[in-house]
Amino acid sequence: MIDVRDVVYDYPTLRALHGVSCTVEAGAVLALVGPNGAGKSTLMRCIAALDAPTEGTITVAGLDTQADPRAVHAALGYLPDFFGLYDELSIRRSLTYAARSRGVADAVVAEAVDLAAARVQLSDRLDQRAGELSRGLRQRLAIAQTIVHRPRVLLLDEPAAGLDPEARRSLSDLILKLAADGMTIVVSSHILAELEDYSTRMLMIRDGRVAGGGVVAAGGGARDEARVRATFADPPADLEARLVALGVAVERRTGDAVVIALAPGEDAAALLARLVKADLRICAYEPVTRTLEDAYMAQAPR
Amino acid sequence: MNPEFERNLWLEAAPRRIAWAAVAVGVIYGLTAISATRSPDLLATALATAGAVVFGACGLVWGARAAGGAVLNEIGDRTWDFQRLSALAPWAMTWGKLLGAASLAWLCALTGVLVVGVSLAWQGRPDALTTPLFMIALALLIQAICMAAALVGVRKARAEGRTARSAGVAGGLLIGVVLLFGVATSEGFQRGAGLSDLSRLFASKGEVAWWGLTVPASSFRLLATAAFAAWALAGAWRLMRLELQMQGAPVVWPAFLVFLAAFAGGLVYPEAGLPAAQLAGALVCALCAYAAAFAEPADRVRLRLFAAAVVRRTWARALRMAPAAIAPVLLAILLTAKAFATAAITRHWAIEPQLWQAAGLLAFMIRDLGVVAFHRFGPRPQRGDFGAVLTLALLYLAGGILGGMFGHDGGALFAPLPGPPGFSLGSGAVQAVVAWWLAARRIRAPEASAAA
Repeated sequence: MIDVRDVVYDYPTLRALHGVSCTVEAGAVLALVGPNGAGKSTLMRCIAALDAPTEGTITVAGLDTQADPRAVHAALGYLPDFFGLYDELSIRRSLTYAARSRGVADAVVAEAVDLAAARVQLSDRLDQRAGELSRGLRQRLAIAQTIVHRPRVLLLDEPAAGLDPEARRSLSDLILKLAADGMTIVVSSHILAELEDYSTRMLMIRDGRVAGGGVVAAGGGARDEARVRATFADPPADLEARLVALGVAVERRTGDAVVIALAPGEDAAALLARLVKADLRICAYEPVTRTLEDAYMAQAPR
Repeated sequence: MNPEFERNLWLEAAPRRIAWAAVAVGVIYGLTAISATRSPDLLATALATAGAVVFGACGLVWGARAAGGAVLNEIGDRTWDFQRLSALAPWAMTWGKLLGAASLAWLCALTGVLVVGVSLAWQGRPDALTTPLFMIALALLIQAICMAAALVGVRKARAEGRTARSAGVAGGLLIGVVLLFGVATSEGFQRGAGLSDLSRLFASKGEVAWWGLTVPASSFRLLATAAFAAWALAGAWRLMRLELQMQGAPVVWPAFLVFLAAFAGGLVYPEAGLPAAQLAGALVCALCAYAAAFAEPADRVRLRLFAAAVVRRTWARALRMAPAAIAPVLLAILLTAKAFATAAITRHWAIEPQLWQAAGLLAFMIRDLGVVAFHRFGPRPQRGDFGAVLTLALLYLAGGILGGMFGHDGGALFAPLPGPPGFSLGSGAVQAVVAWWLAARRIRAPEASAAA
C-alpha cells in the first residue's frame, strides 16, 4: 500500500532523511518509532505528499506522491502532531466541510458525517462548537475529519500526545476498529507503550535512517518461544544461585518473578518439571509475550 | 457551492454579523444624508464621498486584510495542512478564500460602490458606470495581491524555518512597493525610457495614448485595473497550485512579464518611439527581477535540483525548478538588445552612449541579484532581506559619494551612471562576478561559508 524508495529529504541546512526505504502492506498498522528528531514526521509528511522528497520516490495506493500529489491527498488521511480546528464551527459543520472539501458527493455528505461522528463517539455532540471541546474530544473530532472521506491510508503523527489514559484507550479502540475495516494505518510516536495495543508492524527511524531490519513484526502480544516467566511462592533467598546451579539462564528478576531464557532446543514443560523436582514452589508459569519495546530494543543496537 | 466559500460564509457572514454591519453602514449614510440636506447636489456629493470612504475602508483595507488573512490565519490556527490535503482544485480554493474570507467586507464595500454610482448618475457624470466598475476591479486587484503576497510569505517562511505572520507579510508588501517605486522613479533607472508616463494611470481625466490608440482615461483606467486584477488572480491561483504541491510549466509568470512590458511600452511609444517603448519594457522587467529575487523562497534544495536538472538536460524539470528572477532578467536583456537593434535600424538615437549605459544597468542589476542571493542564502535567512537591502543601499551610497567627489567617472564605477564608455559595464560585470561567486559558495555549502 505504501512503498518508500531511497527517500532523501533536505532542509536548507540539514539532511533529515538519508535514503529511507520501506514497504507497508495493505491492512497493516505500522508503528513508526524512533527518538525525537529522528525524521518520523518528515517521512510522514513526504508520504502524505505535503513535502516533496529531494530524492527518491514514494507511492501510496499505487500513486506517485510527486507525479500525482492530489490523488494521493484524496487516498489518505493525515493528522499532524500539532493540528487545529475551526473553533467557531459546530462539529456537524466541521465534519460537513471536511467531507465536502475531501470530495465526498453531496448526496452522501450527511451520511458520511454521521458515520464519522459515530466512529469517534461524537454523535451526541454534533451541534457543539469545536472550541468548547476538551483536548480528548478535539482529538476525536480531528480524527473524524481525517477519516470522513474513508481514506485507504491513515497517517497519525503522535496522536496520543497530551491525552489522558481514558482518551488513549478510546484512541486505541478506534485504531483497532479502523484497522479491522481494512484501513492501512501508520502511527508515529516515541512513546512505545502507546503503540502496544494496535501495531502489527514496526519501523524504526534513527538519525534519518532506517534502523534495525526495516519493517518488522511489532510484537503485539506474540509469544516469545525462547523465554518463560516463572513466579515463585515464598522464593528462597538464594533463588538465583539455585537456578544457576540447575543450569537455568536467568535473564532478569522482578520481585518474585523471574524471566528465564530457554536453552536451544529446551522444552518449557521439561524446564518446569526440573524446577518442581528441585523443590522450588511455583505459583505461575507462562511464556513471555513480546512487547513492542522488546522488538524495539532487539532492533536498536543493529 | 464551493465548500471553501461556504465555510468562509459560515464564519464571516453569519446573520448576526451581517445585521451589525448593516446597522453601521446605515448609520454612516443616514448621518451623511442628514448633514447635507441643503441642496440635492450637495447631498449627492456628500453621499458619493461617504460611499467612497465606506468602499475604501471595507473593500480596500478590511477586504485586503481578510484576503491575506484567509491563508495566514489557517497557518496560525494550524489548519493549513488539512486544507492542503483537501480535494479542492487550486482555483476553487483561491476564489473560495478570496471572496469568502472578505464576504462581509464585500457586502459593505458594494453599498459604497452602489452609492457612488447612483450619486454620479444623479449628477449626470459620464463616468457613472466606469467609476463603480473601476472600484470593483480595484478592490479585486488589491485583495488578490494581498492573497498572493500571503502565499509568497508562507513559502518564504517555510523555507526559512519560521511561521508566516500577517504583520510580516504586510510589512514586506509595503517595503517592496516603496522600494520598487523608489527605483522606478529614480532618474538613473528611467533614463531614456519615459516611465514617468505611468502616472497617467492615476488620473482619469482626459485621454491616454497607448500604442497609438487614444482612449478616454476613465475607460483606460478601468480596463488596465481589470487586466491587472485578472493577472493578480492568476498569480494567486498559481501560488495556490504550488502550495497544493502541484507542479507545472511556468507559463503565467513569463506571460505576465510580456504583458507588463507591452503595457509599459505602450504608454511610452507614441512620443518616444519604438526603441524607447522596448527599453521601458526592459526596465519594468528588471524591476520584476528584483521583486522576484526578494519574493521567492531562499530554497537552496530547489536551486540544487534546478542545477542538477540543467546538468542532466532534463529541461522540463529545469523549467519547473527555475528561479523566478531568470525570466525577467532574460526578457530585460532581450528587450534591451532589441531596442538598440531597432534604434540602429531606424537611426532613432545616437546609440553608443545609451548602449553603454543600458549594458551597465544590466550588469549592475545582475550584481544586485547576486548580492540579494548572497544575503538570502546565508546562515540566518530570516535576516537576509534586510541585509540585502542594507548592502545595496551602502553600495549605491558609496557610488553617490564617489560620484560627488570625482564626478560621474568615479560614480560610474559604483552605479550605472553616464561616464567614459564601458566604465559602468566593466565595473558592474566584475562586481557581478564577485557577488555571484560569493552567493554560489553559500548556496553550495552554507555551513562552510558560515564558518568561514
